[in-house]
Amino acid sequence: MISLAVSVRDLSVHYGRRCVFERVTFDVGVGQSLGVIGPNGSGKTTLLRAVAGCLAPRSGDIRINGLTPRDAYERTGVAYFAGDATLPGSVRAARWGSLANGDAVTSDTRPIRALSRGTRQLLGLRTALGRQPLGLIVLDEPWEGLDPDAARWLSTILESKRDRGAGVVLSSHRLHDLAGLCDMYLFLLPRHAALIRAHEIAQGALVTAELLAETFDRLRNGGSPLRAAS
Amino acid sequence: MRTIVYLFRFFRVVSPLPALVVWTFGAIVAGACAIVVVAPGRTAGALAPLLVLQMFAASSGFAVPGRRGHYDLLLTRTGGRVSMALAHWVSSIAPGVAGWLIVCSVEALTTGTSSIATASGTCAAVALVSTIPWAATIALPRFSGGIGWLLMLTISAITLSSGNDGSLPRAGGSDGFVAGASAFLVYPLAVVGRHLSSLELMVVSPALALAIVSMTAACGWVRRATFPLEAAQ
Repeated sequence: MISLAVSVRDLSVHYGRRCVFERVTFDVGVGQSLGVIGPNGSGKTTLLRAVAGCLAPRSGDIRINGLTPRDAYERTGVAYFAGDATLPGSVRAARWGSLANGDAVTSDTRPIRALSRGTRQLLGLRTALGRQPLGLIVLDEPWEGLDPDAARWLSTILESKRDRGAGVVLSSHRLHDLAGLCDMYLFLLPRHAALIRAHEIAQGALVTAELLAETFDRLRNGGSPLRAAS
Repeated sequence: MRTIVYLFRFFRVVSPLPALVVWTFGAIVAGACAIVVVAPGRTAGALAPLLVLQMFAASSGFAVPGRRGHYDLLLTRTGGRVSMALAHWVSSIAPGVAGWLIVCSVEALTTGTSSIATASGTCAAVALVSTIPWAATIALPRFSGGIGWLLMLTISAITLSSGNDGSLPRAGGSDGFVAGASAFLVYPLAVVGRHLSSLELMVVSPALALAIVSMTAACGWVRRATFPLEAAQ
């Protein structure tokens, strides 16, 4: 039996009266990765924030290594990064980087707001992923703004952390980046979510961006999901 | 222990205060020290700007940077939200408290005693301006508590100036217990430099109790709070 890095059961999140998503269920095992795919406004950021424990759902249950997120932080390292816009612009890059584990992530002393978007994104990723040990990685649109070298670095480090036992949850519009990396995919659509494993999409072959796009279109057009999550 | 060290390291990097406020504290403390050296009898007046700025500094706000994602690194590192809130509070008030202690030291060095800067009235005023604005601003934008206090002070001054003597009631004065307690809450600077009698201590105690209650409520709010990203709502 595979041990679970994160387990989400019947998760529903509302902002006031607006329902973002309802009754989403999935498990990510230790050493597995989940890609979250959906159109703008479907609730990807909200879902990842709830999984990271920064946002309380209206109903449902989230467990990280069997513990509530807040209990899990001290025992299981959780890396969460929601994009360069969440970095405080007035803080100097080198000082922000020092918050990872005390080691310098960068020697750049410029304020974060003075950095290019890709450099900010890389700084945030390096700082979040700098924690040791890491049991769960939750990244929202992590490839946004990265140049090809940095994008390759990110994919490599995610594979490496996953292979060393971390659970990985990612959201991205860049399907070609997700395609080679994830063991399963959660398609978030308005009022509908579907969890599909990589081998179910590709019938044993490699998952490609085109296959993910086809699956997404089929689900959006009312096709039945292979494995219902809600 | 490592968590507490990290909390303070985090808020040292992601300071709840803008650099301008810290620099202003520096200028005000320098001015206050100069006044204490030249005219030690005016120490209470020299402390007033420090306390007013402290009221704004303490109004640092927790929820807004939290909703912008600035505290994500911290929120996903430790589940101890109360210690997180207290570290944020200490980081918010530290420059003001440090400035006050410097003035106390200068007064002690100049006069041989620190009778005004460390008087019980001054301590009560420092405690009040360092707590209630922080608690009141916890879920609001930065400086809201300070602005609200100024508004309350202005409304009180206008209301009271239409009375007989046109002055604010003083704590422990003849306006009675409730008026005195309210006056201290609205205008704590009135007791700066005063050594409070037992009766006056009773008059200021409701406001100090309110400070403790509001701090407890604010820490409880942070413990329960949820931080959706502004951009995702």
